[in-house]
Amino acid sequence: MKTVLLVVAFVAGVMDVSSAQRSFEERREKILVVASSERDRGFATITAKLLTGQDLPFAFAMLDSLTYDQSIGGMFYAYTLIGCYLHGEHVLPDTLKRKMREAYRVRTMYRGDTENHWVMYYTGLYLAAQTWPNEDEARWFNGKSSEENFEEARGWLNHWFDISSTIGQGEFDSPTYITTFLTPMLVLYEFAKDPAMKTKAQLMLDLLFVDFAAEHLAGNYGGGHSRDYPEDIINPLAAPSTFWAWLYFGQPETPPWNETRYRPRHRSAWEPVFGAASSYRLPDIIYHIATNRSKPYVHTETKRVRNIIRFGKEKNPPVYKYSYVTKNYILGSLHGGILQPIQQHTWDVTYVSDKPNNTIFTLHPFSSGKELAMFFPEEQKFLSDEVDRYHNVYTNPNKWNSSSPYEQTLQHKNALIVLYDIEEGTTHSHVDGFFPKTLDERIVDASGWIFARSGNTFVGIFPLKKYEWKEEDVNWRLRSFERRNGFVVEVGSSDEDGSFENFRTTLMKRRPRARDKGKHWEVKYRTRGGHVLQLTFNGKRIIDGQQVDFKQYKFFNGPYVQSERGSGVITLTYGGKRRILDFKRGRITETP
Amino acid sequence: MSVLWFVAALFQMTLLGGWSEGERPAIYAAVYIVRSGTAVGTLSGIGLFRCFRDDSTWVNLRPNTITPGVGFYQSESKTVLYLAGGNGLHRSTDGGKSWKVLTGWQTKEVLSVAPDPVDERILYISTPFGIFKSTDRGTTWHEKMKGWTTWYVRRVIIDREDRQVLYGTGEDALYVSRDGAESWQTLSVGVPGIKWIFQHPVEGNVLLVGTEDHGVRVSFDRGATWRRASGLDTSAVYSFASTPEGAEIYACGFRTGVWRSVDNGASWTQIWNASDLDALYTICVDPYDTNHLLVGTNGYGIYASHDRGRTWRQAGLPDAHVKQIEVFPGRRRRGVRE
Repeated sequence: MKTVLLVVAFVAGVMDVSSAQRSFEERREKILVVASSERDRGFATITAKLLTGQDLPFAFAMLDSLTYDQSIGGMFYAYTLIGCYLHGEHVLPDTLKRKMREAYRVRTMYRGDTENHWVMYYTGLYLAAQTWPNEDEARWFNGKSSEENFEEARGWLNHWFDISSTIGQGEFDSPTYITTFLTPMLVLYEFAKDPAMKTKAQLMLDLLFVDFAAEHLAGNYGGGHSRDYPEDIINPLAAPSTFWAWLYFGQPETPPWNETRYRPRHRSAWEPVFGAASSYRLPDIIYHIATNRSKPYVHTETKRVRNIIRFGKEKNPPVYKYSYVTKNYILGSLHGGILQPIQQHTWDVTYVSDKPNNTIFTLHPFSSGKELAMFFPEEQKFLSDEVDRYHNVYTNPNKWNSSSPYEQTLQHKNALIVLYDIEEGTTHSHVDGFFPKTLDERIVDASGWIFARSGNTFVGIFPLKKYEWKEEDVNWRLRSFERRNGFVVEVGSSDEDGSFENFRTTLMKRRPRARDKGKHWEVKYRTRGGHVLQLTFNGKRIIDGQQVDFKQYKFFNGPYVQSERGSGVITLTYGGKRRILDFKRGRITETP
Repeated sequence: MSVLWFVAALFQMTLLGGWSEGERPAIYAAVYIVRSGTAVGTLSGIGLFRCFRDDSTWVNLRPNTITPGVGFYQSESKTVLYLAGGNGLHRSTDGGKSWKVLTGWQTKEVLSVAPDPVDERILYISTPFGIFKSTDRGTTWHEKMKGWTTWYVRRVIIDREDRQVLYGTGEDALYVSRDGAESWQTLSVGVPGIKWIFQHPVEGNVLLVGTEDHGVRVSFDRGATWRRASGLDTSAVYSFASTPEGAEIYACGFRTGVWRSVDNGASWTQIWNASDLDALYTICVDPYDTNHLLVGTNGYGIYASHDRGRTWRQAGLPDAHVKQIEVFPGRRRRGVRE
């Protein structure tokens, strides 16, 4: 049969409009209407007003104030201002247009120091330089001409497309920061005049969305995350990614603004407005990858550590990610260690629930100036204090996000071992576990297992050392002060185990074998599925007698997404269809 | 020529009502961030601040710019300000009224800048990802890390007596280049955590380094051998400054206070413990009045002493993390700075 290649260069409209897409049209119209009735001072809601024509005097007044208000600035300002300008150009008064243009001359727009900062900054700069070409250096905040700014922005954006499609993002799979990548790319896709850049933006949007889709479950972003805020970690549907899931995947069904659990908490959460305003359409294949949970699957990825500036052997070592996705839950993990400073979320099980706090996980609340100095150029002796001022919880012993050099994982399907070996003298040497109060059942069994049930999802956790419980507002906190510690985790469901009782009965008969001697800290465990997992801290990871070789990990590996590391080619597969994202050639192909 | 220029400058001062802005002696303070800041990119209180010596008002020459360092170039016809910043290396040729960012996306935050004192075309910058050199006034840049085993470089300086010799502070070691940054070798200081490098203003063989946990290490043979400094050998030292002739050298650091040496860094005496300020990040001696010392703190702005360090008072920018303080122009009107 002859294969027909359909090159979807940059016209999304050539694809079939499915029912999923039709309901997308309803959602995008809805968000524009609702956002345009908001009375805040954010570029997203102002853009909605400009597009719908609602409340224009208020929109103009807010926009006017934003042109001189220094409290919002830098990279956050750079891309939303131009996005708002380009979407609203047809209704903006000339005086306001001139002020918006002038902002790129008089306001020093800081480029920032993280991946998301640079994406926002250079997208804004690219579009601003494109919008006002042929202007000399005196017309720009950085003293560069339109052409210089355009070339610099183009250069970095292409560099980012290249590394993101070959070795992965550093700020990968973040339920919070996904907005800071999606919105700039949606604006870039919409307004880049260069067809090559427009296609790259489309490629990147497809990649960002499929990266999310493969680990998406009912509005939740499952698996390990490079960066996330504690309030979103303990309540996954409160994260900004939920709004994007609602808009593009149609899940959860309830519009975010109608549900206090995940109502936008801050202005940037309304940024899906830029999705609603865009002509980018999610390919059906990604929609299906995000929503079809008829069969469980294993999905692995390779990402990269954020730029290490010192105390490391490599600038961007790889991150190995493993997720097991079912219709009831996702059990996911990063391989452990310091992969991102401050906001890392190494593992969890997140399950479908109509109640908040639908997640269980453990962590070591590590903090150290040296960890921060790996990533920031400041002095390690006072970096912790500085970071605490921005993220509030960095040195807090009760925090719910953390990277730790003393945490390592091994996962195989629905079973996971996490080990801790905390060096003596570490500031916080305890381990915490999050168990939500919204669980339907929480049983501390005499066998040593802790059992939890929420709806059809069952979780069994076996702490390897003694611990205690502490009741808090929304959760039970498991805390153990044993520095050498760990947990064996098994997750099941009514589909897999029939009943919660069966699940418990099966696990009660199983007991991990731990070996804690000298420098050796190891646990071996036979799962209820019959697989033998063996994890030695700072040693081998063995599954059924075979050593796990992370070097064999692909860039993406799962039933829906495949890519070799370094290739720049990502293949999406679903129901006999293939969509190939070819970053090297700058093109997208679909078959049939 | 320089005599003619001096006469012209004198003429300008006396008959035309003073210095032009770039040449009027002033204190420059590089403000990295402010204590009350809550979000990256929204900080109008950061940037390069200037306060003329005969005034007390601090003016931000480059708002909203994370600024770890500052540098200067001065010839008889030209004064150039350089700002080592989060967005790259900034240059102003009109006394800070307008700026141009010289570096591109390949260069991330710039931590220090070393303009060649003679050839305006040559610039060196240090960054978390290495040292870069430009030989065309910043139009193009080339990484110069041959011989380095790490890539974080806090500071690069040019030898006062030989412009082909440079020193760079890595986290693991002190590096030296003797061929204009084309290649580098380590100097065996003997301890890790090299934070700052200082060359004596007159006796060029005297080098001092400030370290993370081992105080001051001093070399009297241009880095061939190093020894522990007496009195200041266990704490964090982030910065040095000296009187123009180098008779007195000052040091400061993290919970270290301010120290003075009168023997080229061989021994030190604490003159202020600054116990309530935590980190003193940078220190400067006013070349026009060596009783006047300034330190930049980590979140509490600038503190000054007018009696050689006996008493101190807050002297501006009370919320600022100040990474470098310089008085420019120095007393001698030649070269990068005095």
